[in-house]
Amino acid sequence: MSVQRQGTTLFTAILVLVATGVVVQLWLLTVSMEAVARHDAHTAIPAAVSSTVLFAINMGLLRYVLRFDRSLRR
Amino acid sequence: MNEESGCESCKKCGENKADPQWKKDFPIEWEGDHYVSRREMVKFLTLGSAILAAANWLVAWIWHRRRNGTFQAQMIGSVADLERNKSILFRYPTEKDPCIAVCTPTGELVAYSQVCTHLSCAVIYKEEELFCPCHNGVFELKAGRPTAGPPTRSLPRIVLEKRGDQLFATGVEVTA
Repeated sequence: MSVQRQGTTLFTAILVLVATGVVVQLWLLTVSMEAVARHDAHTAIPAAVSSTVLFAINMGLLRYVLRFDRSLRR
Repeated sequence: MNEESGCESCKKCGENKADPQWKKDFPIEWEGDHYVSRREMVKFLTLGSAILAAANWLVAWIWHRRRNGTFQAQMIGSVADLERNKSILFRYPTEKDPCIAVCTPTGELVAYSQVCTHLSCAVIYKEEELFCPCHNGVFELKAGRPTAGPPTRSLPRIVLEKRGDQLFATGVEVTA
């Protein structure tokens, strides 16, 4: 199996993880907006923090993808 | 080069003689294409993730601003207007926020948002309770907590203040 093909398989797996994170973030945003609309004080901040954590995980995965790509080009 | 049998170089490049001319002119390297498209999709989704995280913080900031927003005192009527076991309607903090003030049978003055926390129908004062006629929701008078029907959250409480003979609304308290 060529390194590029390995990369494609790896990127597919990472893509699934990132997409799952984005879907959870969408759900968090919906929940947060609903809570604000009904004056609920307990949701907005934890939802924003969770969303940021998910973004950080996604950034880490993207960094790995870019590093892999760079090493392949070399 | 013998075109009938296929030359050495054609076998090497994987070119098929049955392929149309445009495929020969613009060959697509599928492996490389999948690699690049997945890499770009990860980038795109991470950008979306950043936007969603920012949007979530924006919502949290809006909530924080609203929570810490100062309410201006607003006269809603005179104390004499509110007889025991009766209610009056007013709007607070804006003209779009209907509220209900009640003088309980014991003489205590309480006020709540008139918007039912179930599906936003207007609640009314009925038999020492706040009643939502749309789906038979019931809220108790002491803290605005739901006691029957579909609502699960308390009514936002309007803070009242007596200033002489005048009755003022001075704030909104939201409980979970």
